[in-house]
Amino acid sequence: MTMSLRKSLLIIAVGWLALITLLHAAINLHAFHPKSAAIEQKKFRIGFLPVTCHLTCPVTDFINKQLTGDNIFEPVRFNGWPELKEAYLSGYTPATFILAPMAMALREQGVPIKIVYLGHRDGSAVMVHKDSHIYRMEDLRGKRIAVPNRFSNQRLLVFRALKQAGMTIDDIELVEMPPPDMPAALYAKAVDAISSGEPFMGQTELDGYGRVLWLTKDVWPNFISCVLAVHEEMIKTKRDTVQRLVDGIAKSGKWIDKSMAHRMETAQFVSKFYYNQNPRLLTFVLSKPPDRVKYTNLTLRKPDFEEIEQLGRESGILNGSAHFEDYTDASFVTDESAVQPYAWEPNEQRAH
Amino acid sequence: MVALFLTAWGLAVRLSHSDLFPTPGNVVRGIAELIEKGLLLKYIIASLFRVSWGFTLAVVIGVPLGLVLGWYSRAFQAFNPLIQIFRPISPIAWIPVAILWFGVSDAAPIFLIFLASVFPITVSAIAAVQNMQLVYLRAAQNFGLSTGELFRQVIFRACLPQIITGIRIALGVAWLVVVAAEMIAVNSGLGYLIIDARNAGKRYDLVVAGMVMIGLIGLILDLLVRQLEKFDEVRWGYSR
Repeated sequence: MTMSLRKSLLIIAVGWLALITLLHAAINLHAFHPKSAAIEQKKFRIGFLPVTCHLTCPVTDFINKQLTGDNIFEPVRFNGWPELKEAYLSGYTPATFILAPMAMALREQGVPIKIVYLGHRDGSAVMVHKDSHIYRMEDLRGKRIAVPNRFSNQRLLVFRALKQAGMTIDDIELVEMPPPDMPAALYAKAVDAISSGEPFMGQTELDGYGRVLWLTKDVWPNFISCVLAVHEEMIKTKRDTVQRLVDGIAKSGKWIDKSMAHRMETAQFVSKFYYNQNPRLLTFVLSKPPDRVKYTNLTLRKPDFEEIEQLGRESGILNGSAHFEDYTDASFVTDESAVQPYAWEPNEQRAH
Repeated sequence: MVALFLTAWGLAVRLSHSDLFPTPGNVVRGIAELIEKGLLLKYIIASLFRVSWGFTLAVVIGVPLGLVLGWYSRAFQAFNPLIQIFRPISPIAWIPVAILWFGVSDAAPIFLIFLASVFPITVSAIAAVQNMQLVYLRAAQNFGLSTGELFRQVIFRACLPQIITGIRIALGVAWLVVVAAEMIAVNSGLGYLIIDARNAGKRYDLVVAGMVMIGLIGLILDLLVRQLEKFDEVRWGYSR
């Protein structure tokens, strides 16, 4: 009697584990798709977040799949900076979209990381509640501002804006907050101002409780926030793969910026297949105004990074031990005017 | 009681004029949307998969470890400080370690769930052995059992009721940490649903939908484990 009970419990437990594993493998891992398993092995992974700063990552993936039915890399979506960074450090994602100052700080700490291309220009904002009486930087005195991370360029942006207004960091209170939580925090007036990459800023405007204090282009034209970075080892051993990756990203950037129709198409497929957001959001952010975020002029330029270095030192996140030549490899695209956008038009090949 | 709670919730949202916080109706529609897209089943399976493995590992390692540590007081003195140091560390703190060791595969959340549930199991097994009534041992010694037999036939059985209580608590904890464990970039699961919905803009209906599903499945799991307590082998241990 007791043996049979114990046995039946064991059988139930083993049976359950087998069943749930099989279901998980079939439904979530697609382990029984004949082609996926073999190909996934060869592809390298790129980390990205569902923000417009990383838009060229899914766009490259999507267009490549439309053109050739396949892509050279597998985009892996993360939900926060720490996890994205740790996946890079562990070698799981040999290439990643990352905050420029974070990549620079990692380099200072001896991590073999090289920035190979920019992710975008502009594409950030400082938002306040529409009912607030904050209309100028000076009005933020004594107020609480949320930024995504201490290594975020938004923090440096606030530093720069403070400097322009003749204020210092002690005049405000900075808090760190994951961007997806920012709209709700502003809505609830838990913070007085928020700043992160899009589309989280546009969302507050779209939902009717946020007001733009300023867009990045007003305070820091050609602002850089996120970059594409790859492991140094990958540049040494698989230079042609990195070249193809950067070429793809550059072509995508040009493709997005080629016409408003492209931007609108981007909003649709990226929202649907990659970001899992309401397309309304990206549509808004990519069009109102059209230069809210830009995807051209993305080659690495020394003066841009020297400015970030200097602000980084002033704000205490960089120690100045790594320089442009250490943390970048600008050789993959030297002349952006030679880059042609992807030759793909959505309407022609809408068959998916 | 549940109906009362739902009514109060709906009223509170309406009275506060919040257009961010969802009403029960929004949440039901959110769940319907997930079912329609076929996501709900996918996510439930993914979460159950991770919890099943993490928890099974915890039982397989935790119970024998607890029995041995409970029996050999020297081993207990050696290992107990270590256990007590590791026990209060939240699985969230382990996320970086899990990513560095296991990358962003299923192994990382399984590891986190294992960590969260192995300690309650081990500790309850230790306590069970230490509180065992001596009469069983005396009887066992009279029969001259070998060490292996002693563990299997006497100690394990005498401690089973308390071990099962520990397992019940641990299963609750394992299910509790599923949100934290799925914060790692896995792309499925109920925890992932919550984190993903935060990314998706104003989709707090899906956030609460994820919470509701986690709660309901937690309830079912607890009911199932309670069934274990009804078996003859352990019923003597629950004086009711």
